[in-house]
Amino acid sequence: MKNHIWIIIFSAVIALCAAIWMVMQVTYPATKIIGIYHNGSLVEKIDLNTVTDEREIKLSDENGENVILISHGCVRMKSADCPDKICVNHGELTSSVSPIVCLPHRVIIKFENADDLIDVKTGA
Amino acid sequence: MYQGFDILKILHKISILLIILIALLITACNVNSRYDSEFFAMDTVMTVTAYGSESEAAVKAVEKEINRIDTLFSVQNKNSDIYKLNKEKSLSASADTIELINRSITISSITDGAFDITVEPLVRAWGFYSGLENTVPAQNVIDNELKRIGMQHITINDSVVVLDKDTSVDLGAIAKGYASSRVKQILRDNNISSAVASIGGNVRTVGTKPDGSKWTVAIADPDDNSLQAGVISVSDKAVVTSGGYQRYFEKDGNIYHHIINPKTGYPANEGLKSVTVISDDDTFADALSTSLFVMGLEQAKHFCKQYSSDFDAVLISDDNKIYITENLKNDFSSQKSFEVITD
Repeated sequence: MKNHIWIIIFSAVIALCAAIWMVMQVTYPATKIIGIYHNGSLVEKIDLNTVTDEREIKLSDENGENVILISHGCVRMKSADCPDKICVNHGELTSSVSPIVCLPHRVIIKFENADDLIDVKTGA
Repeated sequence: MYQGFDILKILHKISILLIILIALLITACNVNSRYDSEFFAMDTVMTVTAYGSESEAAVKAVEKEINRIDTLFSVQNKNSDIYKLNKEKSLSASADTIELINRSITISSITDGAFDITVEPLVRAWGFYSGLENTVPAQNVIDNELKRIGMQHITINDSVVVLDKDTSVDLGAIAKGYASSRVKQILRDNNISSAVASIGGNVRTVGTKPDGSKWTVAIADPDDNSLQAGVISVSDKAVVTSGGYQRYFEKDGNIYHHIINPKTGYPANEGLKSVTVISDDDTFADALSTSLFVMGLEQAKHFCKQYSSDFDAVLISDDNKIYITENLKNDFSSQKSFEVITD
């Protein structure tokens, strides 16, 4: 009888843990964290899902200027005075294997919590 | 009472098993500790991810080696072997430079001149070096520059490279491949058996993923490289893509890309949008992806069949058809239809 009680307690603890995990999933949805890097240094990490007001981040040095637009769930390079504008033409950041890169100004915007099925991309 | 004693024994065993499992998981986490690095070198972005207890030291060694190579092969860095060689026309070069020029000569011969490192004057004429303005050269300029092109203008005597007086070289179509091969070697030397690196889009995989499955490598869609044209599953391979979409400029409604055909002096335009080469040999894969792009669709298909045991390839044609080599049949997938290159 005593052992049966322990089994019931054990099962109850597991059920409780499962319930807490499910509540946490609903209450705190998956994060969408991006990192903004300039000249190899982290400028800022942002969870795009927590962004409520649209804002801009301006990065500038002797190489030139980039303006990054942050809004809820979304980040893109709004403008840059680099010659090729590849970073601006990239559009929104959608994949962890295709970061937004401004090579002339050494700016990288990428997802920090990769959840892609793809490990790496060639030719991009 | 007897049954209760049994359950107690079972619970006791389960507890021991759980403790062992947790201990194993902790050990596994330590063995598969991951280290990532992203850095700028060779005018591009490099990313390296390695797993294992020595991953951090290995990746730092990779960064150091890439920076060393960067100073050897740059066309524009005044301290590089290549800058000095183009200026002086004769140079006692580093072992790496000699090795890479020798490889270039061999690959140029195999590809019947589709690969040619003496294309530098043409690349310059089109303005594809940083600091230059992209221009469409006049026909007489292209004709004059074409006279300077050809691997016969390079001579190697032991460690001395000599160029004919009007010849200049650019290792841009092979240097990242060489860097990738060094990345592979350094990771292996540091006991890394699971890693993936992107050397400016040139992919090198070492071993398999930590769970033993193959790496999934996406090939950029040439029409929108935020999308993918297909996915390849590989382990221990180099995967390199060349495409006209990667660097180009527009003039009077025409697109001019950076892969110059050394025979015509114009951007290669022989029916291909992109070429992906999969090989054990990173340097060969890099040079060959450019070569096949220059050859064009039909000649590239023929070359793939001729050297089918040496590499695999994915060709995407101007009309968006995808062709793969036979050995890739089980490791390639795409939402679009594709055709296997057969005899």
